[in-house]
Parts: sequence; C-alpha cells; structure tokens
Amino acid sequence: MNELKLGPILIRNRFLISMYNFVENRLGIREILDLEVFYKLAPSHLGIFSCFGGITFFIFTLQVITGILLLIYYVPTTAQAYDSVIHITNNVSFGWLIRGLHHWGANIMIITVFIHMGKIYFHGIYKNPRELNWVTGIILLVCTLSFSFTGYLLPWTQLSYWATVVGTEIPSAMPVIGEHIKIFLRGGTDVSQVTLTRFFAVHIMVLPAAVVIFIGLHILMIRRQGISGPL
Amino acid sequence: MSDEIIKEEVSGKDRRSFLNLSIFISFAVAIGGALYPVIKYLLPADSTKGTEGGETFFISADDVSVGSAKLVRYKNRPTIVVRLKENEVYALSAVCTHLGCIVKWHEDAKELLCPCHAARFDLYGNVLGGPAPKPLPAYKAAVEEDRILIREA
Repeated sequence: MNELKLGPILIRNRFLISMYNFVENRLGIREILDLEVFYKLAPSHLGIFSCFGGITFFIFTLQVITGILLLIYYVPTTAQAYDSVIHITNNVSFGWLIRGLHHWGANIMIITVFIHMGKIYFHGIYKNPRELNWVTGIILLVCTLSFSFTGYLLPWTQLSYWATVVGTEIPSAMPVIGEHIKIFLRGGTDVSQVTLTRFFAVHIMVLPAAVVIFIGLHILMIRRQGISGPL
Repeated sequence: MSDEIIKEEVSGKDRRSFLNLSIFISFAVAIGGALYPVIKYLLPADSTKGTEGGETFFISADDVSVGSAKLVRYKNRPTIVVRLKENEVYALSAVCTHLGCIVKWHEDAKELLCPCHAARFDLYGNVLGGPAPKPLPAYKAAVEEDRILIREA
C-alpha cells in the first residue's frame, strides 16, 4: 500500500503510512476516525454562537500553555512575587507576550464563557436530555471564576491584595459560618503569605485538574447526545 | 487527459504537489512563529554582558565587605572576589580544578574550600590540600576609590 486516504487527506509518505498502520493494526482507530473526525457532519443550523464552547476550550488550552511558561519564572512568595512578575514582563525574552496572552486570555475567556452559556440558556438547550451537561457547565463556570479570583492575587500588587481582602471578606457576612469560611479561604485572619500559597496551589493544581475532568465529561456528553436541533 | 496528469505527477510539478507544499510551508511558518517566542522565553537571559576577556571589570566596593567574598562573572566564568582587608582584594576563578564545583571562602581558615571534595586553595590559587590537580587561575584585583577592579594577571 503506497497511498493512505484519511477523509480528505491523501498521505503518500511511506514513513507516515507505516506509523499509521502500526497504530491501526493494534487499536483499530480507522472506525473512530471516520465516524468522529473525517466523516462527522456538523448540522447545517449551526451559527457563530455555536462556536463559543470551542473558542473557550481553545483559550483554556492557551491558558494552560502560557500558565506553565509563567510558572517557570514566577516565584510564589510575598517578597518576590511582584518582582518576579516584573522580571517576566521586562527582562525575559517575550515575557511580555506570554504574560499578556495569559492576562488577556483570562479576560476574554470570561466573555466567551458567558456568551456560550447565554446561547445554551436562551435556546433552551439545557433542557431534557441535556441537564447533566448543563450541570457540568455550571461547575466549569464556577471553576473559571475561581481561576480568575485566585489568579488575580498572584502578582501581589496593591490591586490584587485589596481585591483579595474584599473578596474573602464577602463570605464573612454569612451568619454563623461566615467568619470560618473567611479564615479558611485566607488560611488565617489576614491575607498573607499563607493566602498567596493556597491561592497559588488552587490556581495551578486544583482548578486545572477539575477543569480537565469536567471538560472531558462535557465533551463526551455532547458526543454521546449529539448537538441539539435548531430552534 | 489521464495520461497528462500522470506525466505531470512524475515530474513533480502538478497542481496537487504545489498546493501540498504550500500547505506544508504555511503550517511550518505558523508553528515556527508560535515556537520561536516560547524557545526564546525559555532560554536564560544574557547575564554576562561586558565581561568578555581582556578588558577591566569592576564591581562596587560596597558589594564586598571586609573579610567576606563575593561571586561574580568575569570572562564569562564564575569568579570569586575576596576582600581580606580594606585595601587588599583577591580575585580568582571560582571553578575548582578538580571536578568543577564552585569554591567557597572560609574566613576562619583564610582559605578557599571546595564543598565537593574538600580541595583547599590559598588566595593566590595554590593548592593547599585535597584532590585538586592544578592551582586556581588568579587575576589582578585592586581597590580604587569605591570600586574593585579586576584584570588579567
């Protein structure tokens, strides 16, 4: 065999073909590729607003990549956090670009998430049988907002410090448990190094893990149920 | 008609191979353009400006208090500057001649000690003990006003 046809793609390179055959002979991926990738037809009623889930996913992957890159130079201590962010922005090659992408990606992701949710809500797509997908979507929304809240503190600027003071103060208005929640969020009575460390841990470990799991479920459910019909 | 297509494919100048090449080049440019900033970002910043060999290198005298030592980069190599007295400074390569560890200044013993295998050197670079096969390269160092100048010996 010196030609391999994968949907619209014609492969003649013998190395690529033998690599494909190696996987195909062991896992039988042809069927899945044809069904789910190459001959998967998108319904004709889809419009621009149907794209915002995918756009959000794209921005999330960008946030993961730029986040890992920022992590290489960022120092999560109150003494060095601000200086390390300034160092990334001004001294590291293309640091301004990586930080800018992460910053603006975070802002734009909030917008795309809400457009996506608005589309699902106003078109009634969340209704039976897609309630479970709506639930995972809400969990993802909470994760995204938590990403924003925890990430905002990390540069340790005046703005981020006081935003965190105010933000963690809000639950303390609740009777009985409020004060306990505040102390739990801050890891003490004040916003301090402990707060920075736990926000950092949540931002780079807990939330990414949660988002990956729930995006997986979110997309699996769409694949299982199909995209909803037109209005 | 079909003969013609086959002939063109053999010569490798048909439309399909041109378009395939165009697609390949566009992908390569896009991926390269995305990877270039990332690779530049990951490479360490240039921390060796102005310390090529030959010229005089100086640091602020306030950086090294009397009795202490400071690690600097001179001639793009780790260099240790020891300030024994107010106007008595020594500069030596800090790379141990045994296995390349960075030597440390021990003020009590007034000697340089390698933390890896305990090679010992005096302030002129001479080996006092341990496994080092050669002395440390020493440089000329002098205090001039508020600066410490370092130059080739």
